[in-house]
Amino acid sequence: MTGLTRRSVLHGSLGLVAAGGLARPYIANAAATTAEVWWQQGFAQEEDIAFKKLVADYEKASGNKIEASIIPFAPLRQKEISAIQAGVVPDVMEYADFSFLPLNAWADKLVDVSDIVEPVKSQYIDTALRATYTYNNTTKKRAYYAVPTKAAGIPFHIWKSLVEKAGFKVSDIPNTWDEFLDFFMPVQDKLRAQGMRNIYSYGYQLTANGVDPAITFQGFLMAYGGKNLVTPDGKLRTDDPQVKDAAVKAIAKLTTPFKKGYVPPGVVNWNDADDNNAFHAKLIVMDFDGSLSTEVALYRKKEEYDDIVTRGMPLGNDGTKIPSPMPIFGALIPKGAKNIAVAKEFLKYAAQPNVLNEYLKGGLGRWALPLPEIAKSDPFWFKEDPHRTAYAEETLVSPTLPLYEAFNPAMADVNAEHVFSIAMIDVMNNGMTPEQAIDKAFKRAEEIFAKYPIAQT
Amino acid sequence: MSVRGPKRPRGYRRLRGADFGWAIAFILPYAAVFFVFVVYPFGYALWMASQPSLYAELLADRSYLPAAVNTLLFVGLGVNVKMFLAVLLSGFFLCPRWWIRALLAMYVLPWAIATTQACVSFHWMLQQEGLVNGLLSALFGIEGPIWFNNRWLGVGANILVYIWKWMPFWTVIFLAARIRVPRDLYDAAEVDGATGIRRFVHVTFPLLANLYLLCTLLSTLWTIGDFTTVYLVSGGGPAASTHVLATLGFHYAFDASKPALGVAAVMSALPVLIPIVILLMRKLQTSEIEL
Amino acid sequence: MSITLDFPSPAPRRYRLRRVLSEAGLVVLGVLILIWSLAPVYNMFLIALDPEEGEIEFAGNLWPPEPSLESFRSVITQEARYLEDFWHQFGNSLFIGLLTMVLTVLIGSLASFAVSRMRLSRGSLLTNAALLTYAIPASFLVIPYFRIMHSYGLSDSLWAVIAAQVAFAVPFAILILQLYGSLIPFELDDAARVDGASAVQVFLRIYLPLMTPALAVVAVYALLLAWNDYLYPAVLLAVRNMTVAVTQGQLFSDTDAEWNAMMAAAIIYVLPPVALLFALRRYVAASLTTAAISI
Repeated sequence: MTGLTRRSVLHGSLGLVAAGGLARPYIANAAATTAEVWWQQGFAQEEDIAFKKLVADYEKASGNKIEASIIPFAPLRQKEISAIQAGVVPDVMEYADFSFLPLNAWADKLVDVSDIVEPVKSQYIDTALRATYTYNNTTKKRAYYAVPTKAAGIPFHIWKSLVEKAGFKVSDIPNTWDEFLDFFMPVQDKLRAQGMRNIYSYGYQLTANGVDPAITFQGFLMAYGGKNLVTPDGKLRTDDPQVKDAAVKAIAKLTTPFKKGYVPPGVVNWNDADDNNAFHAKLIVMDFDGSLSTEVALYRKKEEYDDIVTRGMPLGNDGTKIPSPMPIFGALIPKGAKNIAVAKEFLKYAAQPNVLNEYLKGGLGRWALPLPEIAKSDPFWFKEDPHRTAYAEETLVSPTLPLYEAFNPAMADVNAEHVFSIAMIDVMNNGMTPEQAIDKAFKRAEEIFAKYPIAQT
Repeated sequence: MSVRGPKRPRGYRRLRGADFGWAIAFILPYAAVFFVFVVYPFGYALWMASQPSLYAELLADRSYLPAAVNTLLFVGLGVNVKMFLAVLLSGFFLCPRWWIRALLAMYVLPWAIATTQACVSFHWMLQQEGLVNGLLSALFGIEGPIWFNNRWLGVGANILVYIWKWMPFWTVIFLAARIRVPRDLYDAAEVDGATGIRRFVHVTFPLLANLYLLCTLLSTLWTIGDFTTVYLVSGGGPAASTHVLATLGFHYAFDASKPALGVAAVMSALPVLIPIVILLMRKLQTSEIEL
Repeated sequence: MSITLDFPSPAPRRYRLRRVLSEAGLVVLGVLILIWSLAPVYNMFLIALDPEEGEIEFAGNLWPPEPSLESFRSVITQEARYLEDFWHQFGNSLFIGLLTMVLTVLIGSLASFAVSRMRLSRGSLLTNAALLTYAIPASFLVIPYFRIMHSYGLSDSLWAVIAAQVAFAVPFAILILQLYGSLIPFELDDAARVDGASAVQVFLRIYLPLMTPALAVVAVYALLLAWNDYLYPAVLLAVRNMTVAVTQGQLFSDTDAEWNAMMAAAIIYVLPPVALLFALRRYVAASLTTAAISI
C-alpha cells in the first residue's frame, strides 16, 4: 500500500466527487466497462454519422465504452435471429422488423426495461409506449421490453406534376376518405387520354411479399372504423360486426381499382422496394407507403423532391379524424447479455429528448421522432420542410395506432403468412367476393390467435 | 459396346511404414475440418428441428404443400434439363474453333456473377415493363405476359434462371472430363463409321454415364437447398405460390422470426435427401472400378 | 499422334453442303448461347448505366436512354450509399476467397490422394461422410455455425467464414478429384514407387500435374463459393470486416438502395473471378489444342 498516501487518497476522492458532480444523474458508479450494441444502418450516411456521435457523446459522459456495430438492414435481421437462437447475444439490439419484439417478449427472451421507460413515459407519444408494452407468456403480464427510438408514419405520396398534367390542382383533392381515393382515377384517365401509356393511379401493395401489405391493410381497415380488429388487451375481435364491415370495405376499396385497371397488374408480386421504384419511375401517381424514404431518396434532386406532395390521412367518410398505423422501432436488451447495467445506461441516455432529437435530425428526418413536445418546439420537424411537416403532423398530431403485432404476437404470425394479402389476391385473381375473402381470412386468423392465449388481468 | 477405364490392381495393397504415416498425415487436415466444423453444426441443426410440433405446424400452413410440389418441379426440371444441356454443350465447346473458345469465356460468366445481382436483374427483366417483354413487343409485336402474376410462369421463370446460372458450371465439369477421354477410343469409333450423334450415343455417353449420374445426384442435393434464386426472382409469390421448401424455410427463419420452423421445413425433405446421399456414396465406391 | 483428314479433291457437293450446314448450325447455336448468357448481364449494364436510381425496372427501356458512367464512378470513389467501404470490403472478399481457394485445393487434393491413390484402408469412410455435409442445405446451418464460431473464439473473424466455406467446398473437391483421378492409371504411381519415389514425391510430381484440369475447376468453384456467398459473411462477420457480397445482399429487401450503383458494384465485383477464369483457362483446356478431331 505504498502508493496510497493521504494526499493521493484526497486527490482521488476529490476527483471522484468532481466526476460525480459533472456526471449526469443516472450514472451510478464510474467503473468503466464495455457494452456491445447492434444498430440499424441508416438510409443516408448522415444518419450513421449522427448515431456515431450519439455513441461518442455517451462514452464521454459515462466513461464506458460502446462497441457499436452499424449493420445493414437485412444482415441485421439475420444476425439478431441467429444470436437469440444461438444464445450468443450483444448487449443492445435495435430491432429491424415487427415480429422480433413481440415474439421474443412472448418467449421471455428479453430483459424488462420498464425501469428505463416508466420514468420518462410522459415524453413519449402514447402509440410509441403501446408498441413496446408487450406480453410475456412466462410472467403472464405485459411490460416494456424495448425503448422506443424511431417512429414511421404512413403518408400518401403524390406527384404534383402528374396531377396538374391531368388538368387538376392539388388543392382540388377532397379531404374525405372515399372521395380522396377516388380522385385519382380520373387523373389516370386524363393522362392516358393524353397518350401516356404507362401510368396508373395507385401503387397499392396488393402483394404477399414484404411488410408493406399488412400495414396498408391496417390503414384502410382503420379508415373504415375497424381499428378494433385487435384490441390492446390482445383479443381478436372478428366477431365485432363493425370490424367485419370495415374489413370488407377495406378489401373492396383496395381491390376494385385493381380490377378496373387503375393499379399496375404486376403489383400482385411486388416486394417492398418495387412500389418505391414504380413511384420514382412515375409509373404511378400516388403511393401509400411507410416513411419518407420515397422523398429522401430524391433529396439531392431539388426539382423532383419539391414535386412530391406528402400528406397524411384525410378525414373519415363521416368527417371525423381517422387514425393511421404507426410502426415503432426501438432498442432492446436480450437476456444473456453480458453487460446489462451499461446497456440500460446507454438506452437511458439515448432516450433523452434532446439526444434522440439530434440523432433523428441527423438522419434527415426519414424517421419521425416519437416525442411530441420537443418536436413541436424544434422548427426542423414542423416548419422547415413541407414533407416533414406533413409527416410530423400525421405521426404526432393526428391520431395513430401501433401495429397490431404489439397487442398480440399472433398478429406477427398472421402477417408472416400474409393472411390479409391472400384475401386481397383471392378477390383480385380468384373471383371471390370481399365477404368470402374476409370470412376465410378471419377464420385463419382465429386459428392462429388460438395459439397465443393472453391472460387478462 | 461398353467401355472400361484403366484397370485397377486387384487385391488391396496394405500400406507400409512411412507410407501409412504419410497417408494419415494427408487425410488429417480434412478430418480435422470435418470433425470441428461439420459434425457439431449438423447435430445442432438436427436438434433444432427435432420437435414434432414443428412438423404439425408445417402441415397446417397452407403454403407448405404447394412449396413441396414446387420444389419437386424446381429440382426435377431444373437439375435434369440443366445437366442434359450441359453434357450436350460440353461437346459443342470441344470443337476446336477459335470463336468457340472465345464463346466459352462468355458462357461461364453467369457462373462468375454474384447470384444476388443476377437474380435481381432477372426479376427486373421479367417485370411487365422489363427487358423481356420489351424485346417481345419490339421484335415480334406480342404483348408479353405478366410473368410473376401466374404461379406456373413464376415457377418456370425460377427454373430458367436457375439453369442459366448453373449450367455453365456443370458444362465445365463435363468438359474437363471429356478432354481426358483417351483419343484412340474416338479414333476407333471414327474408323467404324460412328460420327456425330451416333458417336455421342455409343462412345461418349457410356463413358460419361457414371459422372453424369453422380453430378445429377449432387446437383439435386444442392438445388433442394437453393433459396437465393427463387427468393429474388419470383420472391415466392404471387401469394406465396411459387415458394420452394428452401425459401419457405428461410421466410420462417428470418422473416417471421421462427428459426426452428425454418430448419424443420428443410428437414422435412430429409427422407429424400438421405437416400440421395447414400446413393451418391454407393456410386462413388463403384466409380473407383469403372469410370 | 494426331490424325488429319485428307479430302479427295474435288470434294463432292453434297459433302461440302453438309459441312457448310453443320458449320452454320454451330454458328447459330453459338449465337443463341451468346444471347442466352449475356442478356441478363446486358440488363445489369442497363441498370448500371442509368443516371437515375432504379426506374429502369418500370421504364421499359431496351437501350440505355442516357448512358452515364456516374454510378461506376461513385462506386470506385466510394461515394455511393452503402458502398462507402467498397474497397475495404473488396479486400476482405479477396482474403476470404483466395484463402478458401488455396485451402480447399490443398486439403481436398491431399485427402483425395490419400484415399484413392494410396488406398488408405477405411479412408473412404471419411470421404463418404464428407458427402453428408450436403444433406442439410448450407443456408440452414448458419445459426449453428454462428454458435460454434463463438465457442471456438472465432466470432467476427474472417477465419470463421473461411472455415465454413472450406467445410462446404472440400467434399465436392474430393468427389471431383476422385472421379477425375480414376482416369489416371495406377501404373504411373507404381512405376514411380518402383523408382524409389516417396509418397510426397508421387503427390507432387505425378498426381498434381496430371490433375490440373480438375484442380482448376475445384479452385474456381471454391473461389466463387466464397466470393459470392451472402449468408455466412452476413451472419458470422462484424461490420468492420464484411465482404462486398454482403453489401450486395442489401437488395434482399431494401427500399432505398441506389440500384444503379449496386449493379455497377456487381459488375466491378465480377472482374476478379473472371480474371481467375481467364488465367486458368489453359489448364482446363489443356488438351483442346491437341484434339484435332472436330465433332
